[in-house]
Amino acid sequence: MARPSRLLLDPLGAVGGAVMDIATHLGAVVTLLVRVLRSLVPPRFDLPELWRNLYKMGNQSVPIVMLTAFFVGGIMVVQSAVFMKRFQATSLLGWGAGYSVLREVGPILIGLMFSGRVGSNNTAELGTMVVTEQIDGLRALSIDPMRYLIVPRVLAMVIMLFLLTVLGDLVALFGAMLFGKLIIGLEFGVFYAGLVSSLGVSDLTHGLVKALVFGLIIALTSCHFGLNVKGGAVGVGRSVNSAVVGSALGIVLSDYFLTYVLT
Amino acid sequence: MSDMTYTSGGEPPLRFPKTVLFKVGGATFGMVDALLEFLRVLRGTIRFSIWGKRPKGEVLNQMYQVGNRSLLFVCVTLGCLGMVLVYQILLQVNRITGDTSQVGAEFIKGMVHAFVPSLTAMMIATRVGAGIAAEIGSMMVTEQVDALRMCGVEPIEYLIAPRFIATLTMTVILTVIALAVAVGAGSLMAWGSFGVNPAVFLSFDKVTPGDMITGITKAVVFGAAIPVVSGYCGLTTRGGSEGVGSATTRAVINSSLAVIVLDFILSALAYFFLQSKGL
Amino acid sequence: MIRLKGVHKRWDRPVLDGLDLHLERGVVWGLIGPAASGKSVLLKTVCGLEKPTSGEVWVDGQEISGMDEREMMKVRRKFGMLFQNNALFDFMDVGQNVAFPLVRAGGVDPEEIEERVASRLKAVGLSGSERKMPNELSGGMRKRVGIARATIASPPIVVYDEPTAGLDPVTTSKIYDLLRAIQDQSHATVMAVSSDINALRTFVGRIAMIYQGRIIYDGLESELDGCQDPVVHQFIRGELEGPL
Repeated sequence: MARPSRLLLDPLGAVGGAVMDIATHLGAVVTLLVRVLRSLVPPRFDLPELWRNLYKMGNQSVPIVMLTAFFVGGIMVVQSAVFMKRFQATSLLGWGAGYSVLREVGPILIGLMFSGRVGSNNTAELGTMVVTEQIDGLRALSIDPMRYLIVPRVLAMVIMLFLLTVLGDLVALFGAMLFGKLIIGLEFGVFYAGLVSSLGVSDLTHGLVKALVFGLIIALTSCHFGLNVKGGAVGVGRSVNSAVVGSALGIVLSDYFLTYVLT
Repeated sequence: MSDMTYTSGGEPPLRFPKTVLFKVGGATFGMVDALLEFLRVLRGTIRFSIWGKRPKGEVLNQMYQVGNRSLLFVCVTLGCLGMVLVYQILLQVNRITGDTSQVGAEFIKGMVHAFVPSLTAMMIATRVGAGIAAEIGSMMVTEQVDALRMCGVEPIEYLIAPRFIATLTMTVILTVIALAVAVGAGSLMAWGSFGVNPAVFLSFDKVTPGDMITGITKAVVFGAAIPVVSGYCGLTTRGGSEGVGSATTRAVINSSLAVIVLDFILSALAYFFLQSKGL
Repeated sequence: MIRLKGVHKRWDRPVLDGLDLHLERGVVWGLIGPAASGKSVLLKTVCGLEKPTSGEVWVDGQEISGMDEREMMKVRRKFGMLFQNNALFDFMDVGQNVAFPLVRAGGVDPEEIEERVASRLKAVGLSGSERKMPNELSGGMRKRVGIARATIASPPIVVYDEPTAGLDPVTTSKIYDLLRAIQDQSHATVMAVSSDINALRTFVGRIAMIYQGRIIYDGLESELDGCQDPVVHQFIRGELEGPL
């Protein structure tokens, strides 16, 4: 059953193939972005669809994001507790948790969970529509799938991830505060003081700009893989898989560049 | 007539609590059912992984699949994250104390017991977890799983157990590789952007046996949770292409969530039983 | 050989609603019915792939509805099943697919397996395709591989779920010829479900119709035309007017 490893037999070809593959997908995603932007100026898309998608995506992701954020706050505290204790610097806990949650951990983990929940669901939905020829059906009724399906979804995802990141940051900081009290007995007041004294608006905006970019990446990637499903039910599963992987890769790589650009 | 208006007006407040109760009740039953089914899959996976018979070479094949799918992905993502973390930390250290001599040692310590195991597992959950659910889900909707059962094969033994052993082993291996990549990339970043000498940065002095135990335990537990959660999502696939899509979605989200919750629990345990005792 | 007593199965609605059935050894039994009338569920209940909500399912003198998965595995060895969409294992080649039931049953040495796979593939008209992958085959060829896999272990009961779905009329006739040839040799008990009534009638000796989870007709194929039940009457003639 084992297939011979291309990576071993033909390493150049394998890497080259992977690069070509990524380039093809990247090209298609950029094209999709251009088409989305073109239908935004002047705005030509289905507004009720946007509301419906916002509602649905919020419904899907708010509980999971809050749960994630709560535990992430806890993890930040537990993992830095030993460090803070060693340096007798527990008062810095609020600052440490706030800094890492707002700038990095919050946007990235909330982005990954959003991609897993909403992005992959979007790919599955669009993919099923492709497989069952519903997109062709829309075209036959002379409804532009771009305006009716894609643009509302892309907008909804960008808006929703931004709002969720704001909410998630709050929940994560609350979680950090709570577990700081429970685990290392740090008073709420001390945590809060550490939080507000050394964190600026720039730390918050840093994370929120990232959230906007992540939202756009997740939206475009998931729509691209959904629209390009081939081969029935098996193909839908495969596309969902590629979409979440592509989104995760996009999130991490863009995080790297954004960190540079934003400081 | 007036009677009618009264009844139809009075109906919604009467019906409301009933539907809510119904829904809550239904959801609770659904959750209990799902939990029982999940425990059945978990028990079966462990039992068959220890005593089951597997087609020859299937575990190796699956290990190869897991490695092939995720090695590059894990290396790129963890490399980037390592660099970003070092960048953010050094930015702050430069602002406050300016003493960068301890940053490398503390960074590596944090990588070993905290960041690398959980972030690698998140990536594997995305890549491998979704793959397992998509594969098994596709086999469910094309009735291949039923065909296996008709041939006297227990799907958990044949499909999940090899993936369980393979994912568990490969998660540990990939975590070690990811650690090397993240630390290497971080050290390059410290050297390139802040001029911290790699000889100073790459110090393992602060890494205690407790950190190593914590890191490896996390990798093992995450590596065990991902295939079981994803396999369960695959085996509960219903319906056609929609079903496969939603199984894959559930696998990503549930295994990522499992990693986060388990990370919290294991970190708390490590803090209480190892770190606070100075290990 | 197969006996169902008062079998009920419900998900959110009743799918099988108090079903009784008795099949003697060697009978070739066909089942027809409108979409979503419970045909596939009935087959899966008999094979033990679905558990009935209540009622008894007897296979070869054993009551299977109360069995756990491990006991059930032994009972399932008595069945050969052709699935609606063939359910060929797409990670195995044709030869491995056909050999699979023998390999799993154990006790047959590899050379004999190879021989039996070759002769089975020859019988279904696919000599020498052992190394092909299922996705390289046409619909009719995949159906033949499915039939070869279902019958290779000479099971006493063979179940055909929609053996000709999605095939053209000529291929349909060829498949039924093949099923007849296999049946003449094996004399197994056969259950066949199909929505292509006329083609199915050329194959079976006894035919039944299921409607809303109940069997409303069960008798000789030759007597089906004389049935006075208005639902059966309308269904086999494809009339627009009637209770359906």
